[in-house]
Amino acid sequence: MKKFESKKRHVLPGDFITTAPLRLQDNVVLEGKRVIATSIGLSDVSADSVRVISLTGVYMPKIDDLVIGTIQYIFGNSWFADINSCYQGMLLGQDVFGRGSYPTTSEMKERLEKGDIIYAKIANSDRQREPLISIADQSLGKIDSGELVKISPTKIPRLIGKHGSMIQTIEASTNATITVGQNGLIVVSCDETNGLLKALTAIRMVDEQAHLVNLTDKVKKMLESDGV
Amino acid sequence: MGGREANVVLLDENGIRSDGRKVNETRKVTIKAGVLKNASGSAYIEFGGNKILAGVFGPRDVHPKHMSNPDTGILRVRYHMAPFSVGERKKPAPSRREIEISKVIKEALEPAVMLEKFPRTAVDVYLEVLQADGGTRCAALDAASVALADAGIPMRDLVCACASGKAADALILDVNNEEDQAGQADMPIGYMPNLGKITLLQLDGVLTTDEFKKCIELGLEGCKQVYEIQKNALREKYFSSGDKD
Amino acid sequence: MANLSIIDKLKRSKILDLLQEGKRIDDRALDEPRPLVIDTGVIPHANGSARVRLGDTEIVSGIKVQPDRPFPDMGDKGIFMCTAEILPLAHPSAETGPPQPDVIELARVVDRGIRESGMIDLSQFVLEKDKSVIGLFADCVVTDHDGNLFDACSYAAVAAIITSKIPKWEMKDDIPVLIENQESDAPITTIPISVTMGRIGEFIIVDPNIDEWGCLDARITITTNSDGNIVALQKGGSDGFTLEQLVKCSELSIAVGKKIREIVKQATEGGK
Repeated sequence: MKKFESKKRHVLPGDFITTAPLRLQDNVVLEGKRVIATSIGLSDVSADSVRVISLTGVYMPKIDDLVIGTIQYIFGNSWFADINSCYQGMLLGQDVFGRGSYPTTSEMKERLEKGDIIYAKIANSDRQREPLISIADQSLGKIDSGELVKISPTKIPRLIGKHGSMIQTIEASTNATITVGQNGLIVVSCDETNGLLKALTAIRMVDEQAHLVNLTDKVKKMLESDGV
Repeated sequence: MGGREANVVLLDENGIRSDGRKVNETRKVTIKAGVLKNASGSAYIEFGGNKILAGVFGPRDVHPKHMSNPDTGILRVRYHMAPFSVGERKKPAPSRREIEISKVIKEALEPAVMLEKFPRTAVDVYLEVLQADGGTRCAALDAASVALADAGIPMRDLVCACASGKAADALILDVNNEEDQAGQADMPIGYMPNLGKITLLQLDGVLTTDEFKKCIELGLEGCKQVYEIQKNALREKYFSSGDKD
Repeated sequence: MANLSIIDKLKRSKILDLLQEGKRIDDRALDEPRPLVIDTGVIPHANGSARVRLGDTEIVSGIKVQPDRPFPDMGDKGIFMCTAEILPLAHPSAETGPPQPDVIELARVVDRGIRESGMIDLSQFVLEKDKSVIGLFADCVVTDHDGNLFDACSYAAVAAIITSKIPKWEMKDDIPVLIENQESDAPITTIPISVTMGRIGEFIIVDPNIDEWGCLDARITITTNSDGNIVALQKGGSDGFTLEQLVKCSELSIAVGKKIREIVKQATEGGK
């Protein structure tokens, strides 16, 4: 019978987790027979695998992730966007103008230019080159209005909540529309100033207190109160 | 600050050093993680009279492109001393000493960081000495490790560092400025305790082979003490509203 | 650091919209500088030092005083020099390598503001006329960049200078020899305070933060002394000012400068 720790523990890089021969997932490394944490976070040992849920680190693009990016420049037939990662997102001109097209730089500038904010999907991500992004879907494209906020990408799952519960609670309570990027970028739109302020405060709370157990209650309480 | 060392008693008859320490005692060390707003990771260390700031950016794009590595991220380190950090004002341009120390610190950190997941990128470590008081490269390396962890760079272990040496014929831990100037040997050591690997080692001075072994062992004791302080600095930033299990 | 980072369109339009209502992105009034915190004596081994936080911009300034040769045509005056460096850890787009024009401009503007005010009585820094004088170097390093480095560096250098201790040297056989434990306060005649203002459209804002800095059409830094006179100024940016706007800026520099001077005085009283 394999022995394993079922409790999540705080770990730092270099901390020992277990010697059990488990499948290695995120943020751990095998040194001899010892599984070592490589990131600051929570160790998570299950019956057949071990990982560390990281509290730090840059966003790594994954296929089908929805991200928010800022156009940096145009080169060749592509736009390059800052997607809050160690890599820039590459948006092909063909994605916008159609397959086989060769838009000119001024045609491209008219659609999207430096400083524009877009909601995009990671279309492809391999080690050889910059990740490809796409705005071909109806729900994707340029974001014209709202407030852009950045939080740690590791907190996004908490902001969305189980089956979207947290984000829906915030939207319902404030009448705000919140567009969430897996890469830690969020755009909040709201007609009422108070609603906007509350939504922004809720997001800030998640970023700062994601590791606390009673966060959901705290956020609900803030949303229901008069002030922030 | 020249010309005064001749009068300094490095070790008195009670085994007490010029700054009141015993031979196996380090100076006071404090480290704070996450002190800068713009850097991805940062740390500030006070090691005795040394005051050093560390900032990390990355992984990020490499310019010019030909310097990047298609298979892995690269590590770049810049150790630099502010003009007001030393006795006689230092001109801002990097000196040969700073360039060498930058390289040595980089090579001390490389075994610890895991950059294979980030091809074509660079992780930049910037170390600025605001006040120097002997042992800056060790203190800078201590701060660099904390800043890298704070930035979320995957690491096999933190790298801790401390110097040992010899003064007045005795082996001493954590050589201060006066002991560095007037003593007999100064040996900075960088160490990954988890893997038992020494990743920074230099020597200025003369030691017998027996002294060499003992001096390293003494230095590793100091390194391990700093290791705990590094970990506590990170725990304080990330785990201190302490709750989860 | 010619272009810091690209200001996204949403933020830019928010800044412009708020200005129309007389507001700013961080709730300040148009003529309001950010909170200023000054700590002195932070580098005890230096002759003087200060750490300044202007909003989230952070600067450390250190003073080194040492004997030097006078400039050829100024044998009866000591030497004063002020430098500034944006450390690569201060901002993702800060570069290493030889200083770029914008950093050189920063250093020279801060230097001129202090020098032209006559803040330090350099005639008191002569050890032997034409041969040996005291040199005071104020070096500023930017550790965190959130806009308006001109003012932050200036306040740090000024606070460091006010609280610095000048050692005593005596000439013995043509060589300056340090006399221990005979330090004195720096010979200060006035407290120069710089105020940087930016223009966005027709609006003038005081102490732009980094987001506002990216939207500026033009900017101006005006330094005033304790008597309320203008001692130095520098206009920057790719566009211009009308005469009316310049007059308004000069008035602002005096009014805001007065308040900041009080903060600097308070912060440096204890250090003396």
